[in-house]
Amino acid sequence: MSASIRTTGLTKVYGEKHALDSVDLVVEEGSIFGFLGPNGAGKTTTLRVLTGLARPTSGSVQILGHDVASAANSVRAQIGFLPDVPGFYEWMSAEEFLRFAGGLFGIGRRVLDERLGMLLDLAGLGDVKTKIGGYSRGMKQRLGVAQALVNAPKLLLLDEPTSALDPMGRKDVLDMLISLRGRTTVFFSTHILADVERVCDTVAILDRGRVVAQAPIDELKARYAEQKVVVEVTGGADQLAEEIGRQPWVTTVARGSNGAIEITVKDVRAAQQEIPAMIADLQLGLSRMEAGEMGLEEVFVKLVGGEQP
Amino acid sequence: MSGFAVFARKEAREILRTWRIWVLPGILLFFALTGPVLARFTPEIVGALAGDQLKGLLIPTPTYHDAYTQWIKNLSQIALFALIIIYGNIISSERRSGTAVLVLTKPVSRTAFIIAKAAVHSAFLAILVVAGSLLTWGLTAAVFRQAPGSALWSSALVWLVFGVLFITLMTLLSVLIGSAAGAAGAGLGTYALVSIAAIWKPLGTYLPAALATVPSSLAAGKDVAVLWPVLTSLLLAAVLVALATLAFRRSDL
Repeated sequence: MSASIRTTGLTKVYGEKHALDSVDLVVEEGSIFGFLGPNGAGKTTTLRVLTGLARPTSGSVQILGHDVASAANSVRAQIGFLPDVPGFYEWMSAEEFLRFAGGLFGIGRRVLDERLGMLLDLAGLGDVKTKIGGYSRGMKQRLGVAQALVNAPKLLLLDEPTSALDPMGRKDVLDMLISLRGRTTVFFSTHILADVERVCDTVAILDRGRVVAQAPIDELKARYAEQKVVVEVTGGADQLAEEIGRQPWVTTVARGSNGAIEITVKDVRAAQQEIPAMIADLQLGLSRMEAGEMGLEEVFVKLVGGEQP
Repeated sequence: MSGFAVFARKEAREILRTWRIWVLPGILLFFALTGPVLARFTPEIVGALAGDQLKGLLIPTPTYHDAYTQWIKNLSQIALFALIIIYGNIISSERRSGTAVLVLTKPVSRTAFIIAKAAVHSAFLAILVVAGSLLTWGLTAAVFRQAPGSALWSSALVWLVFGVLFITLMTLLSVLIGSAAGAAGAGLGTYALVSIAAIWKPLGTYLPAALATVPSSLAAGKDVAVLWPVLTSLLLAAVLVALATLAFRRSDL
């Protein structure tokens, strides 16, 4: 399978600040790719470089097999883009803007007529006749998603597509992204980890301009799930946690919900062998012991040094 | 229809559907309506205001040339100032509002974006100048009973070249300066420099600076050479658009 996006050593410097520092990304064709990172990590800068709005200081960017700097209109014709805060001509209606956007892509009137109804319904704006100047931020965000789809793009680039949406709008957009799987490559940045877990098959985590992890989401979670053990006992959990904390194969010990002991370990096999023995020595009752799955949020927190998105 | 044509059509519709259709046309309409009447009745107005203070001072009988000169002076001063201020945000407003981002991530080049803006607004100015000049012509004929067209149209069309030059200048300044007020200030400063430069004969004969004064001379019926300043102004306008395009292509959005 070929790559829809490939960046090599992508670097963007503003004055003294490295907004992007040697970013290598590969986004496979047809995938739904989640791009995570805390505020200021460089997600929006990456999208601006990918769309040609900003020029990289160094490194290369290939979009759909073409160098983004030289490909120009032929590449842009195959891309749909939603910025984090989309700007519209406020004197237009939603339909007028979609017709304008379709016209820029050179889409014929008949095809555009067919698409407009579907896109306006997707945006929940089919019955809205007012000008865009009177829209709420959520309405503008939904219109932004619709305009990004007007050319039936091969590659959809979305910057925080669900951030301004209510739960129903968010669900509609995520369902739409899922429906595109395999047909359109979707690359979207977000702060909402639940969205990524729900729709993405691959994820990259950006921190201070550097990609700290990039993998299929299941692989990423599995990689860290092996390092976590959850234990529940009938009593004496504090004593057991203290005892476990003294072992050389333990990284961290924390108390989870319902009194469970959550242990991050360097050696899962040692934990599986020694924890039951400790419970027996302390004459405690074992209710549950399992290799707990580390959620994406925990992976994220671990990788970006504790900063929350 | 190409991306250029679609964007140019958007620009034209934006003029018709926003404040742009009221401000510059309103100013020009006002001057076109009042210029010939004021020119005709200037002696009476001055006499009524001054009373006996100007007794003995001979005020020449106004002619249609005075009406034409009034129109051109208004274009050269207040209308041009308004144009400079209005077009201080011709590019920066699209960058600030985010609309440029949505347009330029579609198959529209930055070159097309700049050229479409400069071309549509130059055409808009041409329509306004022609409409205002027609109105001035008709009213002058009504008030003065005679209104030969050559002095009016030669002066108005030469001024139009000057106006187009300033639209292209504001396009460049609006690319370089993000603040509309800053770009307008730079435009007004350039106008002041051009007006001063026109005093120096070489600049005031062959180069665009001549167009600060030549239209008024034409309106007054004087025989003035316009070929070189018009040609150099059109060339400079093309250079300004090229520079605006170059600067816009090199900038991050």
